[in-house]
Order: sequence, then C-alpha cells, then structure tokens
Amino acid sequence: MDSDAIFVVIVDTIREVVPELTDHRIGRDDSMADLGVNSIERNEVVLLTLQAIDLDLPTVQLHGPHNIGELADLLNAKLNG
Amino acid sequence: MIPVGIEAMSVYGGAAYLDVRELCEYRGLDIPRFENLLMWEKTVALPYEDPVTFGVNAARPLIDGLSDDGRSRIEMIIACTESGIDFGKSLSTYIHHHLGLARNCRLFEIKQACYSGAAGLQMAVNFVLSRTSPGGKALVIATDISRFALADASAVREWAYSEPSSGAGAIALLVSETPDLFVIDPGAHGNCAFEVMDTCRPGADTEAGDADLSLMAYLDCCAGAFNDYARRVEGADFRQSFGYLCFHTPFGGMVKGAHRHLMRKLYKAKPEEIEADFQQRMSPSLTYSQRVGNTAGASLFLALAGTIDTADFDTPRRIGLFSYGSGCCSEFFSGVVSSEGQQRLKALRIDHALSGRYRLSLADYETLLRGNHAVRFGTRDVVLDHKVVPAAWPVYQTGRRLVLDAIVGYHREYRWV
Repeated sequence: MDSDAIFVVIVDTIREVVPELTDHRIGRDDSMADLGVNSIERNEVVLLTLQAIDLDLPTVQLHGPHNIGELADLLNAKLNG
Repeated sequence: MIPVGIEAMSVYGGAAYLDVRELCEYRGLDIPRFENLLMWEKTVALPYEDPVTFGVNAARPLIDGLSDDGRSRIEMIIACTESGIDFGKSLSTYIHHHLGLARNCRLFEIKQACYSGAAGLQMAVNFVLSRTSPGGKALVIATDISRFALADASAVREWAYSEPSSGAGAIALLVSETPDLFVIDPGAHGNCAFEVMDTCRPGADTEAGDADLSLMAYLDCCAGAFNDYARRVEGADFRQSFGYLCFHTPFGGMVKGAHRHLMRKLYKAKPEEIEADFQQRMSPSLTYSQRVGNTAGASLFLALAGTIDTADFDTPRRIGLFSYGSGCCSEFFSGVVSSEGQQRLKALRIDHALSGRYRLSLADYETLLRGNHAVRFGTRDVVLDHKVVPAAWPVYQTGRRLVLDAIVGYHREYRWV
C-alpha cells in the first residue's frame, strides 16, 4: 500500500464521517479543518483509516500533518517504515 | 476491606452564565454542525468570585447537612485546582477557615490540570483505607475558574475556539467509610500518563495549548486507561460492566467522540449501536456539564452529579469514570450508586440552583473581559466592585454565599452575603 492508496482510504473515510462532503472535490493539498471537518470528526477519520489499513498507533503520533496529503505520507511511513 | 467512597457531594455551578451559541455567533465563529458539539451554556466567574468562594459555596450545603460529630471528623481538606492563587498557601487554608472546621486537619492542594479532582478523590480514599485514623473523613474540593486578562483583540482571537467551552465550577466530595452516595471499587483503576505539551497554564492569568493535540492525547488516554483497568479487573468489559459512564467533559461533543472512539476501537461497533449506547449510558452525564462548560478538575464530578440525579437507579448500578488532565495524566475507575444515594443528591436541587444564575448579555461579558475588573494573580491590595454588572449583584446574594470583598496585603477577605 502506498501513500496514494492511503489517500484514497482517507477521502472515503472523510465522506463516510461527514456525508455532506460526499460530492465535494478533495485533493492532497486540502486540510480537513478547511473542509469544515471538526476536531472530533478528524479523529474519527484517523481512527477508521488506521483500522482500514491495519495500523495500530497512538493518535498523538499523528499530530503534525497540515493537509491530507501529508497525513497520507505519514501513515505510509509508519506502515512501511 | 471496609467500604469507602463518597458519603456526600455538592456542586456550585456559579452565579452567572452566557449562552454559548450566542457567543459563537458574536465572535463570528463558523462552526458547521454546532449542535453536535453539545454545548449550551457556560458559567462565567464574576470578578468578586475566586476559587475559594467557588469551593466554599460548593461545600457549604454539604457541611450544613452534617452532624457536629460528622463535621468534627473531617481531618483533611484537599483542594484540587489549576486556578491557584498562591504558590505556597493552599486554597484549603481559606476553605477550612470559612467552613469553620476543627484545627486537627491536614490542609493542602493538588495540581495536575483537570485530573486534580480524581487525584484528590483517590488520595482521600487511600487515607480512609489506610485506617491510620479510623472513622476519619476527607473533604475533597475541586475548584476551577477561567480568568483571562484579555488585553487586546489578538488575544481574544487566539482564545476564540477554546472560549466557548471554558467554564467555571466547583464540587465538594466528602470521602469516608460510610459511602452513602458512591461506593468506590477499591483497587479497580487504570492509568495512562505521559509527557505531552497539549494545554497548560504557564503564566499568571494565561492559558496556552493545542486543542487538536489535546483531543488526541485525551483519546489515547481513554483507551490506555481503560485497558489498564481491564488488566487489573478480571472480566471487565466496556460494554457490559458499567450501567453508566462519566468522562471528564471539556464539552459534550468531545465525550461523545471519545465514547465512539472506544466503541470502534474495542468492538468495531456500528454507528447505530454506538448512538443507542451513548444515549442510554452517557447522555445523563451531560445534564449539568452542558450548562456550565469545562470546569476542569471538577468536570468529571459534575458529570457524575448529572448521572446520579437523572439516571435510573432502581437497582444499584456500576458507573465507569474517566478523568483526563493535560500534560498528561488519566485514570479510569468505577463505583456503585444506589437509589438511596440518588435521593440524597436530588435533595440538593442542583438543577434549580443552575436555573437561578444570572444570564449575562454579551455587553456584560465584554465589560467583565476587557474592563479593569479582573483580579490578576499576585494582586496585593484591591477592593472589589460588586456593582460591575449591576443586575447580577442582587441575584448573587442568596443569603448563603461567600463573596470576595477585598485583598489587603495579599490576604483575601471574604464575607457571607
């Protein structure tokens, strides 16, 4: 699984957690906060993504990414690192 | 082992409040799905209130309800706070004086952000279990206010997203070997603690932090503390073992999110089951929390009071509690509440007291925030102006409330009004 594949998982999860974004275009440079995804929802996206890619990590280790692309890169590094 | 736990509890939810949605609109905060945050009202401490008055006003009804003998057995007052007024002198000294308690008493203060109240409770429990003074009681008072010296517009902007949830409040717990209200499960606890810079109070009258990081740490600790609890308590199951759940409540939406996080993590539960479970087991805990905001060290116990007052205790029920304090330290623990305990707490009419608070207008609130009325840390001499929000003063004077009158040579002077 690479960063692009993880990015797709994250986007699918965002649309699941926030159905209002189902038809919204989401790119790697977008941040969840700017898309209107609040902090509780962002953490839910992260948890569901971790479960989908079979990665078990403390959430605090995922603090830092400024956009979805960076989050995908970080998860990829943790998964394959 | 002797029974131990909370013999009595009382709550002070403040004398004034602000409507949170009104505040958010006024600040121009764009919050999609605001209803999901589950925030209604926040208590605002008036300038002539401080953590001492909050603590004493919480404890007074509890002390008044004790016999002389009961009062004489209070041998420890633990003030639990992140709103301290002195680096050496504990809040307990003032609280002890204004409650008129006996001198054979330990007085001290505990600090670890919002974990302080749970820490105080567990230390009191250990005192009772130690039997070093059989029959001795401990008074645990968690008291916290938000007070920010907001000098300019940029300071207000920075505080913007934590302002709606920050509140003020105090609880008093009498801990003894006659736990009529809440029988703790001794030894049934789990901890998760590590160093993280999520939120802190690094300076006089200032708060700093990263709300996102704090939520992440809270969620990690929720899972970590429960797993440690389950390691100690054979057969413990998050879904089956607890009739109700109470979590430290910065705002309602956060505990709902934490509950969902655990249900997904532990069981990969489906949304419908999670929602039903939350409504059944956790929504009672929001009863008072939604009306006072984040009360820091007292928050978990406001949640407990809400549950005890409004949930079903026809048969005794076990409650699972989770406390989290930034920096950080957390604990999952449990205890049992019965119908008799519920009747005792209902007699205090907490709901009625909250409804009696003065509703601040935004103009009132701005006066309090920007004016020169905030008593800053380290003030040597001041006389408090009780008329700063004129209409709030008559409401404050219930006949049984402590108020700060003046500070003289650093000494705080209070009276009953």
